[in-house]
Amino acid sequence: MIEAAIPEPTARRHWWTSPSFLIGAALTLTVVATALLSYVWTPHHPTQMAILNRLKPPSSANWFGTDQFGRDVFSMIMVGARNSLAVGLGAVGFGMVLGTTLGLLAAMRRDGLLDNAIMRSADFTHAFPAVLTAIMITAAAGPGMLNAVIAIGVLNLPYFARLARGSALQVWTRDFIQAARGHGLSNWQITLRHVLPNIAGIITVQATIQFALAVLAEAGLSYLGLGTQPPNPSWGRMLNEAQTFMAVQPWLAVFPGAAIAVTVLGFNLLGDGLRDALDPRVRRAR
Amino acid sequence: MLAFAGRRLIAFVLTLMAAALVIFLMLEVLPGDPAAVTLGLNAAPEALAALRAEMGLDRPAVVRFLAWVGGLVTGDLGLSYTYRVPVSQLIAERMAVTLPLALMAMTLAAAIGVPLGMLAAANHNRPADAAVMVFAQAGLAIPNFWFGLLLVLVFAIGLGWLPAGGFPGWQAGAGAALRSLALPALALALPQAAILARVTRSAMLDTLQEDFVRTARAKGLGEAATVLRHALRNALIPVVTILGLQFSVLIAGAIIIENVFALPGLGRLVFQSIAQHDLIVVKDLVMLFAALAILVNFLVDLLYGVIDPRLREAA
Repeated sequence: MIEAAIPEPTARRHWWTSPSFLIGAALTLTVVATALLSYVWTPHHPTQMAILNRLKPPSSANWFGTDQFGRDVFSMIMVGARNSLAVGLGAVGFGMVLGTTLGLLAAMRRDGLLDNAIMRSADFTHAFPAVLTAIMITAAAGPGMLNAVIAIGVLNLPYFARLARGSALQVWTRDFIQAARGHGLSNWQITLRHVLPNIAGIITVQATIQFALAVLAEAGLSYLGLGTQPPNPSWGRMLNEAQTFMAVQPWLAVFPGAAIAVTVLGFNLLGDGLRDALDPRVRRAR
Repeated sequence: MLAFAGRRLIAFVLTLMAAALVIFLMLEVLPGDPAAVTLGLNAAPEALAALRAEMGLDRPAVVRFLAWVGGLVTGDLGLSYTYRVPVSQLIAERMAVTLPLALMAMTLAAAIGVPLGMLAAANHNRPADAAVMVFAQAGLAIPNFWFGLLLVLVFAIGLGWLPAGGFPGWQAGAGAALRSLALPALALALPQAAILARVTRSAMLDTLQEDFVRTARAKGLGEAATVLRHALRNALIPVVTILGLQFSVLIAGAIIIENVFALPGLGRLVFQSIAQHDLIVVKDLVMLFAALAILVNFLVDLLYGVIDPRLREAA
């Protein structure tokens, strides 16, 4: 009776109605839907040139105008969404899978050497932001989308390793782990059946936030010509090309940047909303 | 404090050595023949042989690594293949642009971010707080190079107040030089200011709930004095940490921003060196950027010990 008299905090019941989560989810879904739609439909062919129609302002025929080769900016942005999300997925997936595995292993073995290696490598990667790693990879192996994925992915790895290790260490102290041990489960079985499901939420939140950072990093690398290569449209590269014609056609510099900002904002807000849902301390602090 | 500093110093030197090793492996061992990478596919065999001799590629990799690290310590960074001048001279020239740019950006970021964070914390859950959080979200989402382009559109092309790019050199006068750095520094500072605003707000909110703040209020200290004299000092620890950790992000940002504004700094130099396949310069510059970030992290660690004596014992 007493329990029934204490209502559950509203925020807990309705975390999914928080503005952060709703706006983030809406923006993210829009970007993902745009990327998927671009596989079957774009208003114009994204790489088809029409020199007579070059540097046109936004109109009903070309919603975001045309670039210096007469290509439709809206169609290029649609296809660019694909490339941004692909690099984000690759880089965050790489960092998440490898980093989480290492973190779980460190927590399971309580291995001082592995622990130390993870903590030091995380410190170490602070000295190598994605741009610097990409510069090294490009200098050694040439530019490209795959190299961008590797450069951003390497940066992600220690974040996930540290997070997985810290969260897993907490789970290992819980009573149900003792019970699982009592049932004769091996360390590996406990890790896969009990520890991983318990830390999956927090890892997902981190992945969402890292995804936003990956999209930003990819845009920066593409702007420098170190990421996605032409004729594949990419938002960063579109901004680079827009710079030359900015005085004549300012719109060229506005839309690709806005696409990056909307995507990053969407993933950041989604991550914030999910974190609020999973971590009551954060929710109270707000 | 001395033992704490000693332990940090050892970690600092080891991290530097590890960075040097990674950079050497990536840029001298992985590409196979760095001379061939520098000269391209159609290089004449004689030119290749001459460059191999100049780069000392006939020696074992271990010897070359030690020679390179020795050179880094003594300041002998080798000769740029493209510019035919010592790399140390190139770095010194370009540093005169990058260093002031980074310092201006960091100062701007702190000057915007910290007061905004304090304002938000002091007005928790009120419109001012919400406005600061919206600014922070926008600052984190907007790529700094795009923000740079928008600044150029408005302040250079539209209003004509500031130059759209280029750098006249310090010999043209501090005023002209600083005018050229104003827009790039602002573009570089935006995401940092957003991060600092969030961190300061959160740290201040935590600190304002501490017992010593209640004690300060109870003994009749005014709100401003409580916040500035007691809360801010304690809230500064995470702020200083973030400033330090973000330094490498700032450097990475400078590489892009210098290209947006055509500033002849280190970022542009490293980028040009890649285009020209000048691996000697790329290797030295990447090491310099990494070393700077590692050095700042080391200094932040030391600063912890000064700000909060408890951390000296804990470390």
